Amino acid sequence: MTTKSSARTGRALAAAAAAGAVLLTAACGPDEPEAASLTTLTVMAPLLETQAPDPEGELQTAVEELIGKDLDITWVPNAEYGDKTTVTLASDQLPHVMVVQGKTPAFVQSAEAGAFWDLTDKLGDYPNLTANPAADQRSGVPIDTETIQLNASVNGTVYGVFRLRDAMRTAVVLRKDWLDALGLDAPTTTDELYEVAKAFSEQDPDGNGQDDTYGIVVPKWPGSYGTSAPYDVIETWFGAPNAWGEVDGELVPGFATEEFFEANAYVKKMVDEGIVNPDYATLDSGTWNDPFVQGKGGIIIDVSSRAGVLMGLFKEQDPEGYGDYVTMEGNLVGPDGDRHSYPTPGFNGFLAIPKSSVPTEEMLAEVLTVLDTMSSEEGQILLNNGIEGRNFEVVDGFARGLDEEDPEIELLNADIRAFAQLGTNTNGYQAYTALPAGDPELELWNHRQEIHTRDSETVVANPTLPLVSPTQVERGATLDQIVADARIKYYAGQLDEAGFRAEVQRWFDEGGDEIVTEMNELYAGLG
Amino acid sequence: MTTTTAVPQAVPQAAPPPSRRVPLLTRLARHRWLFLLLVPGIAYFALFKYWPMYGVTIAFQDYLPVLGFADSPWVGLKHFDRLFTSPEFPRILGNTLVLALLNVVFVFPAPIAVALLLNELRVGLLKKFVQTAIYIPHFLSWTIVASLTYLLFALGDGAVTQLATSAFGQDPQFLTAPEWFRPVIILQTLWKSTGWGTIIYLAALAGVDQHLYEAARIDGANRWQQLWHITLPAIRSTIVVMAILLSGNLLDTGFEQIYLMTNSLNREVADVFDTYVYFTGITQGAYSYSTAIGLFKALVGIVLIFGSNWLAKRFSQNGLF
Repeated sequence: MTTKSSARTGRALAAAAAAGAVLLTAACGPDEPEAASLTTLTVMAPLLETQAPDPEGELQTAVEELIGKDLDITWVPNAEYGDKTTVTLASDQLPHVMVVQGKTPAFVQSAEAGAFWDLTDKLGDYPNLTANPAADQRSGVPIDTETIQLNASVNGTVYGVFRLRDAMRTAVVLRKDWLDALGLDAPTTTDELYEVAKAFSEQDPDGNGQDDTYGIVVPKWPGSYGTSAPYDVIETWFGAPNAWGEVDGELVPGFATEEFFEANAYVKKMVDEGIVNPDYATLDSGTWNDPFVQGKGGIIIDVSSRAGVLMGLFKEQDPEGYGDYVTMEGNLVGPDGDRHSYPTPGFNGFLAIPKSSVPTEEMLAEVLTVLDTMSSEEGQILLNNGIEGRNFEVVDGFARGLDEEDPEIELLNADIRAFAQLGTNTNGYQAYTALPAGDPELELWNHRQEIHTRDSETVVANPTLPLVSPTQVERGATLDQIVADARIKYYAGQLDEAGFRAEVQRWFDEGGDEIVTEMNELYAGLG
Repeated sequence: MTTTTAVPQAVPQAAPPPSRRVPLLTRLARHRWLFLLLVPGIAYFALFKYWPMYGVTIAFQDYLPVLGFADSPWVGLKHFDRLFTSPEFPRILGNTLVLALLNVVFVFPAPIAVALLLNELRVGLLKKFVQTAIYIPHFLSWTIVASLTYLLFALGDGAVTQLATSAFGQDPQFLTAPEWFRPVIILQTLWKSTGWGTIIYLAALAGVDQHLYEAARIDGANRWQQLWHITLPAIRSTIVVMAILLSGNLLDTGFEQIYLMTNSLNREVADVFDTYVYFTGITQGAYSYSTAIGLFKALVGIVLIFGSNWLAKRFSQNGLF
């Protein structure tokens, strides 16, 4: 990999100014269908960092060199990416490549009307955009890229190159020091979770003599039903389907099962007993870590990477003993004695290619070649790790950061975090994992790999991931909100169990019955 | 009626004094600079207000961006039908109307009351200070107002919550209880907009002839009588104009404020047209349906503004137009 050695002073300022400029210019996209050969590739992507990468920066230059094209990237803040996608779809200024974060009704309707290339039979020609069974040996968790490809499709039609993500991430993150203070072990079953959470709220785990702690921290969940909320996870542990599942040979939503109501009765019991934070309906999910770090709550049910984030936060407070605060457990064994593990969809959206900006097959081939190159081992390392010898070196198969204090490297690392959003890793993750910073991090990392490997044996898959039904497109979001709200109202006591069941029934009456019928027909059609 | 009676009627009109009859073109030419001055204004309204209205046609289509305005299929009133038969419609309409009514009852008179109070203040410095202090919230965004509300009214440890808990013995759950949603919204609106709203009334009050008060005092009128017989009649036309303007925006309950204060427990009373349009249009991409909702809302607004103008003219002889 080559590096430009020119001086890079004042890059931070330039990047800030350029970020604005990129948004202005790139938002315009291609003015007219260009000639078959394209020199500049326009891209729309979400930005999770605070600052958009410098288009003249070290990383973008390196990526441009790798793919042999100039890049013109519109970085849109992640919080408004969904809105921006809907609005962009309605404009006539689409980029060549668009990161689509989910199969929203707006996207599905546009795609089915022919706004995006159907890639179903095309991706096979690109080795890095197709299944590669040998890949992902690094994480140890087997991945099934063909299934993920199908899950990312719309009823079997592939409209984009999916962005691979870890298939198993669910974890229960706990305050290790509280467990130790009370002489408890990390819970392995839902019953034990209740016991530990109760002890955390009642037995003064922080030893300050005051009743000022609670067990589980839950935020106001931004998504609706079946969106990896802690409630969804607990329902699956209790044996309910993961959003949808087969019961007696028919696909039904999870809330059509008794396990769903058992799980919610379990949550309600914890809410009633004050084991859950009282502001579970309003706590901003952006501040989810705060009660945990401040010692108000001791358990978070979320993804395992949060454990690492929390450990980092404790490290700021206690650089010596930070390893003693955080531990985690994977999916818990349910009341039926079995472990039902809640997986991720295995992908996080996909890169779709609009026909209006890429009108010909030749241009499509060019764009796909670029995506193929970016998903090659070399491309993946560049997008995920950076430039070897410049900002990282390889140690025992891990990437270790170099000169992290250097402002130029800091900028490069920020750019890498942003560009990772363009990485699809469709053929399996082949870049390096960042080397854990210290022994506690390494220990946590190894533990995480262990529990995830174990949990991927007992995955409860959502069979409807590839399916998009017409009624669901029209009414699904409104209907699912009924169930998500009813759940919270039930915990808060606004609804009793009969009322809760009546609200769930409303889902079926107001259009859900049609969704169930359509889903089953589509499922049968999928073969 | 016969044509013979109609014709003589028309004749006197058709023959005005010849000296006043100037050809249209001459008149235009005479005032050409005035018309030229008018051009930017007309262009602005045509370009930015009337031309975009072409877009409301998608309310009658199954609009798909890839097909465009021209090729999307026409579906007549399908989306209006869907709206009026939708199970959410009565609830959203009800919520919107209740908030509108609360706005009329509490938010609309507040600036008048405050302006009258300020007008009675004798100490100029104090008056200026209060005026400035109560303007400030106007300049805060709803995001900040919502954050402040969350801090003050938060479950358990919010300052107001603690006061209320010690006063009533239980936590009123300001942020989640459906019955508290509307009071909190109205309180926020009052806090944010009252001070700013006083400006126009204070301006009207400044124009009241001081001699009237003097004469009234000599006649023995007390403060209340002066207020009732001089001040209020003097600003009556301002109040009427403000009321008519308000009626046009009655269904605009505001998006940000409602959206930020909504959660699972109060959504039942919180969903209004503005948030519903966002939910269906922007997050779900139902372009035509959400346009239909917006159009319905706009039509109601037009009916209200003409209706209230008619009422104002009928009862007080001074409407807006």
